[in-house]
Amino acid sequence: MALRPARAALLLLGLLLALSPAGCGRTPPGAGPITLVFKHAKILGPADPVPGLLRRFEAEHPGVRVQAESLTWSSDEQHQFYVINLEGGSPPFDVMMLDVIWVPEFARAGWILDLTDRVPAAERDAHFASAIEPATQDGRLWALPWFMNVGLLYYRKDLLAKYGLDPPESYDALTRQVRLIQAGERDPQLDGYLWQGKQYEGGIVNVLEALWANGTRVIDERGHPFPEPERAEEALAALRGLIESGVSPAWVTAADEELTRRPFGDGRAIFLRGWPYALDLFELPDSRVRGRVGVAPMPRLAHGPVGAAATGGAHLAVSARTRHAELATALVRFLTSEEAQRAMTEGAALRPSRPALYRDPRLVARDPTLPALLPLIQRGHPRPITPYYLMLSTTLQPEFSAVLVGRKSPARAIRDGIAQVRHLEQALGH
Amino acid sequence: MRGGRLRDALVLLALALYATPFFWQALTSVRPDAELLPLASLLPSRLTGVHYQAVFAKSLMPRALLNSLGVAVISTALAVGLGALAGYALARLPVPGRGPILLAMIAATAFPQIATVSPLYLLMRALGLRDTWLALILANASFALPLVIWLLAGFIREIPCALEEAAATDGADRIAILRWVVLPLVAPGAASAALLAFLFSWNEFLFAYSFTATEASRTVPVALALFPGVFEVPWGDIAAASLLASLPPVLIVVAFQRYLVRGLLAGALRE
Amino acid sequence: MTDRRLGWLLLSPALLLLGALTVYPALWVIWLSLQYRVPVFGIARWAGVSHYAFLTVDSRFWNAAAVTGLFTVASVALESILGLGMALALRGQQRGRRVAVALLLLAWALPSVVTAKMFEWLYHPAGGLVNFVLGHRAINWLGDPALALPSLILADVWRTTPFVALLCYARLLTIPADLYEAAEVDGAAGVQAFARITWPLVRPILLVALLFRTLDALRAFDIMFVLTGGGPAGSTETLTVYAYRALFQTLQVGFGSAIGVVVFVLVMLVAVIYLRLIDRQESAA
Repeated sequence: MALRPARAALLLLGLLLALSPAGCGRTPPGAGPITLVFKHAKILGPADPVPGLLRRFEAEHPGVRVQAESLTWSSDEQHQFYVINLEGGSPPFDVMMLDVIWVPEFARAGWILDLTDRVPAAERDAHFASAIEPATQDGRLWALPWFMNVGLLYYRKDLLAKYGLDPPESYDALTRQVRLIQAGERDPQLDGYLWQGKQYEGGIVNVLEALWANGTRVIDERGHPFPEPERAEEALAALRGLIESGVSPAWVTAADEELTRRPFGDGRAIFLRGWPYALDLFELPDSRVRGRVGVAPMPRLAHGPVGAAATGGAHLAVSARTRHAELATALVRFLTSEEAQRAMTEGAALRPSRPALYRDPRLVARDPTLPALLPLIQRGHPRPITPYYLMLSTTLQPEFSAVLVGRKSPARAIRDGIAQVRHLEQALGH
Repeated sequence: MRGGRLRDALVLLALALYATPFFWQALTSVRPDAELLPLASLLPSRLTGVHYQAVFAKSLMPRALLNSLGVAVISTALAVGLGALAGYALARLPVPGRGPILLAMIAATAFPQIATVSPLYLLMRALGLRDTWLALILANASFALPLVIWLLAGFIREIPCALEEAAATDGADRIAILRWVVLPLVAPGAASAALLAFLFSWNEFLFAYSFTATEASRTVPVALALFPGVFEVPWGDIAAASLLASLPPVLIVVAFQRYLVRGLLAGALRE
Repeated sequence: MTDRRLGWLLLSPALLLLGALTVYPALWVIWLSLQYRVPVFGIARWAGVSHYAFLTVDSRFWNAAAVTGLFTVASVALESILGLGMALALRGQQRGRRVAVALLLLAWALPSVVTAKMFEWLYHPAGGLVNFVLGHRAINWLGDPALALPSLILADVWRTTPFVALLCYARLLTIPADLYEAAEVDGAAGVQAFARITWPLVRPILLVALLFRTLDALRAFDIMFVLTGGGPAGSTETLTVYAYRALFQTLQVGFGSAIGVVVFVLVMLVAVIYLRLIDRQESAA
């Protein structure tokens, strides 16, 4: 009687203990048929081909059901979701879609299954090397590529033709072309070159491309940051220079893919750095730039090659804790097969990770730009392949961002970046 | 008192203007999408409920509201329950080290969450409590507890000792006195403490953001901070979700103002 | 059962919870800050004071410290002035006091994430009310590194001024009217009455409010994390945001804990000043 408040509190605690593990979304252990849970991000495009593919897999594997569960849209959140569920727990999924940059991290953490002996070499080699490399860690294969991305320079075919210009091979040429066209058009609404300078992974991609375009890297084989600091400074200075000279509007320092894709799609820019998905949107029937957009390799700076673009995309991996390793691997192999990737390319605004499909007559008939993309992807670079990529990227993002908005000099940012990365490496025991 | 009335009205008007950000968000939540960007006129041409429909049909919000309510109610009950017992002991019983304990309570109200979030994260991970209600309840209750104890100890001290002494001479033991004499008298004070604990838990973001991963335990502030937009930021939907997130605080400010103000003043003045 | 034992019995559940979830973590964080800890990769090694040594030369840390200092000083100063003004305006209120207090407390009671989302929309370059009222400007309040911190401070001032106002208002209501009448007899009214009566009586409580707000401003996290994420280019990155990013984004639990400890020490310094102040007031009373 007298201890009632305490007892009430205990009761409440008991109640909540009974309630809390009932978090929904957990799959019940399969009693009859085997259930595979497949986590993937929403597939955008005219028609989502995934459900059809999964039904086909089920038809080929009687007694197996595949339950597709979608991930949130933002990449940071997807990563957090995986980390919380994979770290020391038994994750409620068997097959997962991963951003290519996470594969080495998840492999090193022991969260995903080693696929080396489960996938024939010929099947592995049918994908782009730049998609297989980042899925390889310590000489083992940890994931198979599902679709492919590459950085492209979009340009207005009509405007360049009007002034008798070819797509620029260097940033200097790009700057001259912007000046020429802007002077001729006299349209204050027409911006020059749009790219992604916001402080996020996409911003890092743009800076990495500039570093490669100037013949240098963010980190060398032995993990040393900025092996050629002067070249890195030049690359950063060149990006900042685009803004200072007015070739790019100041707001690109806060822009992501969509914020830049839209004005270009509205006909308000001459050049755009973007991913292939934008092409489909530019060619929609109600697009204002339909038929007026071309793609070219990314331009170069003083010391680097043309076409130094970043590759990206999604991979499929199997959870190390799955109870159905064979079936889950079979699902990954099926979804990354030529047949499935053909369906993905037809139904969604995605590009396959198999070079052969870029010459596939049926796909080319639907999308004539595919053959032109092939050499661009082959010239692309993966981002640094290390289990610590995300740490590296988030460590450097503020430094690069500070240069782009003009708060730090390139030299200072590279110096601070080196100090930050060294401190990080100390923690990692390098 | 004509002048007084005009002055009163002007002050109210000024305060209403001060609250504009909130009213603007309310208006945004019923403004059609087409009139959001760019903003062409202050008032929308018509009102719409599509944003609320979208929030209920397509977002995590309904589940987050349930999580937030559950976590806030239980952690408040836990904090006030434990706080009442501890407060009584500190106010009335000869506990050795009473002074240092009270001092430690004040110091604990100043603890920055950012300093304890990493050990708590490791603790919750070790106990397998990540992404559960229990993690948030324990964290929120323990964070609100020092203030609740401080407030309740103060309120209990305000109760005249004579009442308890009278009950004691009637043969009631300490626990009976606590239950039948002190508890009813301190109820308004407990309500003040409970409101503050509830608001803290309802508004709490850092723990919820760090310890949760799925709809199983995502609370309203987290769902709002991570409100999904695929290609565009859905400002109208976000406004609708903000309004839903604001309902309990608005209710408290309007309906339980007296208790809230009392708790706030007692918490701040620490007399 | 003796009263003494009962006392401990009643205290023990609360002390147990606080011990496990407040005191223990507060000590553990110091231990963590002396280690290299990356749980994802199973890294746990002794680091000594190397995190703190790095902080002394880490430009990002000093930037965050400067932002925290600016944020704290500017928002506390503005809140004090505005809050006192509001309280003075409210003092004479005869009608609609409840409505007035409700309007005032609304801003304080809302979740800070809601406030952040509200201001993000108010500051929107094309859809925001602020640019609209300024005559259809296209100012990028949160995207411009020079404007982001002032914009953030304004949002925080909006949210927390009511707290200061309420405290001052409560104090003003306790000043007996005859004090002013007596002063008027002496020929003191208006500014003079304020200087002679109101200010000396309000000053102690304003000081308390100020210290409270300083504690909260040093600890603030939600509003900048959601409104600007510390950007653009670190111009609004406070120590708390830096600590969070180190902890949960670059996954360096040891290093992030070291930044957390710095915040902890700063806050405790202010708290000690506050406790001294209470002590002095109590011994004076």
